[in-house]
Amino acid sequence: MATRTVELSVGQSREMGAEGRGARSPIAPFDIPEPEFGTEHMLINIGPQHPATHGVLRLVCELDGETVKKVVPHIGYLHSSFEKLGEYRTWNQIVPLTDRMDYLAPLIYNCAYVMSVEKLMGIEVTERCKVVRVMLMELDRIFGHLLWLGTTAIDVGAFTPFLYAFQERERIYKLHESLTGARITTSATRVGGMMADLPEGWLDSLLAFLDTFPKTLGEIHHLLTANQIHIGRTQGVGVIGAADAINYGFTGPNLRAAGVDYDVRKDRPYYDYETYDFEVPVGEHGDCYDRYLCRMEEMEQSVSLLRQAMARLPGGPINVSDTRISLPSKTDAMSDMESMIHHFKLITEGIPAPEGDCYMAIEASKGELGMYVVAEEGDTKPVRWRVRPPSFVNLSVIPKLAEGHLVSDLIMINASLDIVLGEIDR
Amino acid sequence: MADKTKSGLDAVDEGPISSEAPPASATGSSGDPNQHASVAALLATFGSAVHRHRIAAGDQFVVWIDAARSHEVLTWLKNDPAHAYDMMSDVTAVDYGSGRPLEVVYQMFSTTHKRELRIRCTLPLDGLEIDSVCDLWKSANWVEREVFDMFGISFRGHPDLRRILMPDDYAEGHPLRKDFPLRGRFSRAEQTRRALAQDVERFYLAEDLTHGMPQEVAPAQAAMLADGSGKEDS
Amino acid sequence: MGLGDMLPGGGDSKTTGGMFGAGSPTFLTSKVDALINWGRLNSLWPMPFGTACCAIEMMASAASNYDLARFGMERMSFSPRQADVLICAGRVPYKLAPVLRRIWDQMPQPKWCISMGACASSGGVFDVYSMVQGIDTIIPVDVYIPGCPPRPEGLIYGLMMIQEKIREESLSKHFEHRAEDAALVGRPRANEAEVVGLTGPFGNSTQQEQLSTGAGALADATATDDLLS
Repeated sequence: MATRTVELSVGQSREMGAEGRGARSPIAPFDIPEPEFGTEHMLINIGPQHPATHGVLRLVCELDGETVKKVVPHIGYLHSSFEKLGEYRTWNQIVPLTDRMDYLAPLIYNCAYVMSVEKLMGIEVTERCKVVRVMLMELDRIFGHLLWLGTTAIDVGAFTPFLYAFQERERIYKLHESLTGARITTSATRVGGMMADLPEGWLDSLLAFLDTFPKTLGEIHHLLTANQIHIGRTQGVGVIGAADAINYGFTGPNLRAAGVDYDVRKDRPYYDYETYDFEVPVGEHGDCYDRYLCRMEEMEQSVSLLRQAMARLPGGPINVSDTRISLPSKTDAMSDMESMIHHFKLITEGIPAPEGDCYMAIEASKGELGMYVVAEEGDTKPVRWRVRPPSFVNLSVIPKLAEGHLVSDLIMINASLDIVLGEIDR
Repeated sequence: MADKTKSGLDAVDEGPISSEAPPASATGSSGDPNQHASVAALLATFGSAVHRHRIAAGDQFVVWIDAARSHEVLTWLKNDPAHAYDMMSDVTAVDYGSGRPLEVVYQMFSTTHKRELRIRCTLPLDGLEIDSVCDLWKSANWVEREVFDMFGISFRGHPDLRRILMPDDYAEGHPLRKDFPLRGRFSRAEQTRRALAQDVERFYLAEDLTHGMPQEVAPAQAAMLADGSGKEDS
Repeated sequence: MGLGDMLPGGGDSKTTGGMFGAGSPTFLTSKVDALINWGRLNSLWPMPFGTACCAIEMMASAASNYDLARFGMERMSFSPRQADVLICAGRVPYKLAPVLRRIWDQMPQPKWCISMGACASSGGVFDVYSMVQGIDTIIPVDVYIPGCPPRPEGLIYGLMMIQEKIREESLSKHFEHRAEDAALVGRPRANEAEVVGLTGPFGNSTQQEQLSTGAGALADATATDDLLS
């Protein structure tokens, strides 16, 4: 296994700035003792419709002056009852629901769901399908992190990274579109394979993206990483220790920023991730700045993973050949009686599942994404479809992280957790 | 299992499955417990509290334990250095419908031993209560609240057991139960009227900050929430 | 000659009524209309009520590639009190409905509303217990944009439709257009039969019996009367 720490080029010492000078943040509070005025605490409500809550999150804060004494998050303002709806849908009909859950990285959700169902049914997908799915998941990790980067930069007052990030996102949108026909709601996977194989020229477009994306990433690095305002707003803000982070259920970059070396791709490998050569960036301070650095490094690792996957992409079919699982080609269904029967039965009845339950965890852009499906013998619909949403658990830590910080830091902490409300409320 | 009497599109357009009989594998254990160190140790240490175990989806170990002793078993699994399940990934529940008991599912992972384990507890419909594991894993806080909201299972000793996704004054019941209709119990007009009658000023009340203080949820209140017809103090 | 001729839209058919034309827009009002409408439609300030996937497409519209600023809308007004157009982008659950209604009530006249995407327009795939079946049951909507989610071009086209609508507005009809019953503030907009009809036999989910069909059937539920009063 490759070495799993990343050299943090900046911010290694609490006091040091980018070039080794002391980080004199213009917004650092003055060290003047506060006089006693006999003040009372103030209640402030942020959201549910507020630009800084990244969705319809509502935070109720108790403030002493500008210091946050207590935060109570209220969620459920986007509860769309995905899990209930899933019980009324056949296995393949659930796929379009999954990408409406995390619309920042839809392909990861598509893949995670079908992987769980395939594991339950004991279906082994083809080698080509595995590599294609790895590519799509890594592409959407970049996709998700870029949106996080843009919106978080806005929260600390930097608008330019948002424009840069969306410029790159537009190119991923185009890749999505040529693969699936949709920009966000991709619904690209099916049980036992994909909706379609990669279109002609897709890999060339991807390669063109990979060639130029690191340059833009470098520009964003240049804008933010050594930026004194950014450092002042993020270093030492929202700190959590390793043991606490595990106990509170942190996963993904948030957990790794706290110094815990846990990545589902390494610790519970799926789709041959153990054979890819990549590093998992681990921070040491557990603050907003380390979370930022971890995500920036993860994007670079994803670029490397995408290149490796492209190099090893095998030929062959993308769907399993079992006619009870994969749809026959349209030509066959129109000309061959047996194929038409399979087609009809698959569409009208669906795929029967064996009795049992399956929990499949993968590393999504926000953390450990678990899909738990329960079926009874012969079911074509799940008895229960449960999503373990990473940002739901990550968000529940915010009362601990924000306590004692300023209100402006609360906004930064909330942004640094990388939440998506569609997945939190489901 | 889909209704055999219906075919074609009619069979697709039906509700969730609720089978009458328990599945064949609902009784008895399967798989070799010695393949998984924690399963073997659980059987040795808590003989009577472990009801059965099996392997699901090829390589995932599931252990059914006694709901009354769940806290004791889970504490041991977390604190025993040979197992050390320090990460509670998920707490959820499953309703099979047809009056069959609900099951609470704990999905755990040990970062030290890189080992995962699924624990399930069976709860009868007239006794939907189980000990909270919030004191062991802080991550269980919100997921247990969600199970309470969606299934009406109350967790003893939970610091802040309120509805989390649905509004506090939601009166239609617990949505993920199989007897709950997909579109809710009230008509659309009634649902709209109730939604708009919610007081937005309530968002600015200091009461919101009292959440998180330890409180007891009386079983009577939980039962009232479960049948959905009663009034609640919001 | 006049100010109107120098304005876009000046000199159109409406001005032929002459300065003293009766019953139709007069020379004076049509010139003032043209001026006001020109000002309004070129500096619409959107209030982005973004909840889900559509909000991401709305952000993409505002970002570099699609650049909403070309239409005078770069100033996203996150405060409803300074906004002209409410863009409701995404699913609206019942829990969020009073918030949406309140934001609409807080916006000053004249105001317009865009319902972006299938979920905001009709509930979309979410014909379920928690979702509003179309925001037009709660607030009036001027333009519906189809799609799941609509592409940024769709949103921009929708905003241009709003601009078209503004271009046709006239001071002489101002109060007809903008009158909103004070009794409706904070109340459902659609009537009961309309709302019940939304989840009709053509719903996309299974058929089911409603336990109640309206307020009357709920008279026994004690909490209901308090909520409705």
